[in-house]
Amino acid sequence: MTLLDGIRVVVLADHLADFGGSMLARLGAEVVLADAAPLTAPRAKAWHKSMTRSDAPLETLLEGADILIDDRRTDPREGVDDLAARHEALIHVVVTGFPNDMRPVTDLTLMAQSGLMHVTGQPDRPPLRLPGEQGYALTGIQTATAALMGLRARRLTGKGQRITLSAVQSAALANYREAVMYDQTGRIGTRRGNMLVRGKSGVRQIWPCADGYVTWSMIDNPGMMRAIVRVMEEEGVAGELANIDWDDILVADTDQEVIDRWQGIVETFFARHDRKTLADWSLEHGWGLSPIIRLSEVPETPQMKARGVFDADGVPGPLFAVHPGGAT
Amino acid sequence: MGALDGLKVADFSWVGAGPRATKDLADNGATVVKVESSRRLDLGRRSPPFAGGDRRNHDASVFFAQTNTSKKSVTINLSDPRGQEVARKLVAWADVVVENFGPGYMDRIGLGWDDLQRVRPGVILASVSVAGRTGPMAGFRGYGNSAAAWSGHCDMTGWPDSDPHMPPLAYGDVVAPMMLTVAILSALEHRDRTGQGVHVDVSQIEAMVQVAGDLFAEMPDEKPANSDPEMDPHGVFSCKDDRWIAIACETDANRAALDAVLDGSPEERTPAWEADELEAALVAKGIPAALVLDGKGLSEHPALNAAGHFVPVDHPVIGVAKMPAPPYAFADTPSHVGPSPCLGADNDAVFAEIGLSEDEIADLIAEGALA
Repeated sequence: MTLLDGIRVVVLADHLADFGGSMLARLGAEVVLADAAPLTAPRAKAWHKSMTRSDAPLETLLEGADILIDDRRTDPREGVDDLAARHEALIHVVVTGFPNDMRPVTDLTLMAQSGLMHVTGQPDRPPLRLPGEQGYALTGIQTATAALMGLRARRLTGKGQRITLSAVQSAALANYREAVMYDQTGRIGTRRGNMLVRGKSGVRQIWPCADGYVTWSMIDNPGMMRAIVRVMEEEGVAGELANIDWDDILVADTDQEVIDRWQGIVETFFARHDRKTLADWSLEHGWGLSPIIRLSEVPETPQMKARGVFDADGVPGPLFAVHPGGAT
Repeated sequence: MGALDGLKVADFSWVGAGPRATKDLADNGATVVKVESSRRLDLGRRSPPFAGGDRRNHDASVFFAQTNTSKKSVTINLSDPRGQEVARKLVAWADVVVENFGPGYMDRIGLGWDDLQRVRPGVILASVSVAGRTGPMAGFRGYGNSAAAWSGHCDMTGWPDSDPHMPPLAYGDVVAPMMLTVAILSALEHRDRTGQGVHVDVSQIEAMVQVAGDLFAEMPDEKPANSDPEMDPHGVFSCKDDRWIAIACETDANRAALDAVLDGSPEERTPAWEADELEAALVAKGIPAALVLDGKGLSEHPALNAAGHFVPVDHPVIGVAKMPAPPYAFADTPSHVGPSPCLGADNDAVFAEIGLSEDEIADLIAEGALA
């Protein structure tokens, strides 16, 4: 089901807004890519998906358009403001790297400013970015959001408007923890690798198993701990974990040495089984464990196939599922 | 006037994945009524940090406050049939219903998709869950790490040849609500044009897949870490003051300018510079460069604060605290970030608006149906 049938969008792209235009296209809008900074072929396949390229003059394309997405990561294109101002109903979304500033940005520098890189990676290595182009993707989502809110506002006011949007704010908004934690406690987050630190101790999040890795953590959830230890007992590998009253202890307050000993028992258990066996047990018993799926495996997982997430070109298509309903 | 003035939202969601989307709507003028219960507190109200360290006060969580700005709060005991009946009255009032319950819960309390359409024809139901409401994993109950594990993010995060790496926070709880906001707004556009309501069904795994679309298109053999196929130098480099700077050269002009500033490779030369001074020198030459900010740097970021990214908001329990604002500014319909609600703060006004008399409200409270 296409939700934006009949909406016409013109996109001037320069990395920040490409995904936003593609999102509107995947929702059913008629989206024309009027200009775009060069991308590698794989990136163009993903971020320009479902948009139609056009060499027609912008003046022509704006006739009857509802939305103009105007990506100003680098120098603004000449004359766009004047052309946009001629169309009272046009929603003009202007995207820059910094708020009302032409300071140069790339995905890497946006992620550096988001506060997320500082807490991603190993303590003894440099800050690390999240995989892919998350700064650009986050800005693209906010671009689509602003454009759609502009449509809604147009129903209230009867006219379009100019909306400004910055990529550094879009990236910073994704970091819901570090600034507020500093504001309220003075604490500054650090890189912890794959350790989940709670209270006086840290627990592992990543475990090798027979055919790859799983994620699971020994947290203060007595029901979950009993559920996993029960299966370990059946397998004869629970060791001292079988004698622990999980209602009576707080993992977060337990000495690291003890935690490490307990985790060693779990590690041996996980190493004996493959991801599917462990994931099936988790689903059945409520362990909160997930298999770590390799990137190349994701499109073939039964859930992705059942929901039609990937198109034949190998790139994700529909943004979410839509189930039809009744009329007002 | 906000962009979404007049929009009515019955928000049954909790913690992060739903509430961050309804915050987007509330900050832009929608009336968002958050349905809570003192008998089953939103875990966000139990999440640190707490103003004054007061973790026993369910109105003191700043985590909750920043996730629920500009909303109203009512308390309804959804395990009580009379509470469920009040919830249906709220649905009859709403344009949009938002939920992120476990699988099947909405059906069990008489608020499933078919029920909602009977109560409010044309209503929009917006669901967010780890794996989506259909498919073999529809019943999956996951945690923050689950979406990273199933989407390929965990596999692709980290340094080449290293173990899989977890994102430092529940990134699915970040991108899924952003996608939910888009889903709700596009469903509203569809309803306004066709008169048809829809159920939009957002999955955290799928949202994380979408934002890694470039990786699926390329399918790299190795984790990309901080490298880029088009840019060089492209990385994070240490400075004299134990801080880090990110530098990304896109063009030959960038590379020539970088060489003019550093007179050598970044690995060799940046340790001789104070990070602030190097950032200023590189940006002045038009080179994409930026400090790697920590929580303090982010909170005190001059450009973000000047742009109103963090808004000081006065809350009756927390006091004045900085809340995140939308990253966009509308020329004619500005957003407004108000305080998050104390638990049940809007019971009287909201219950009256949906048709309950004062006596009915008092009786239902006394009987535990509105608690």
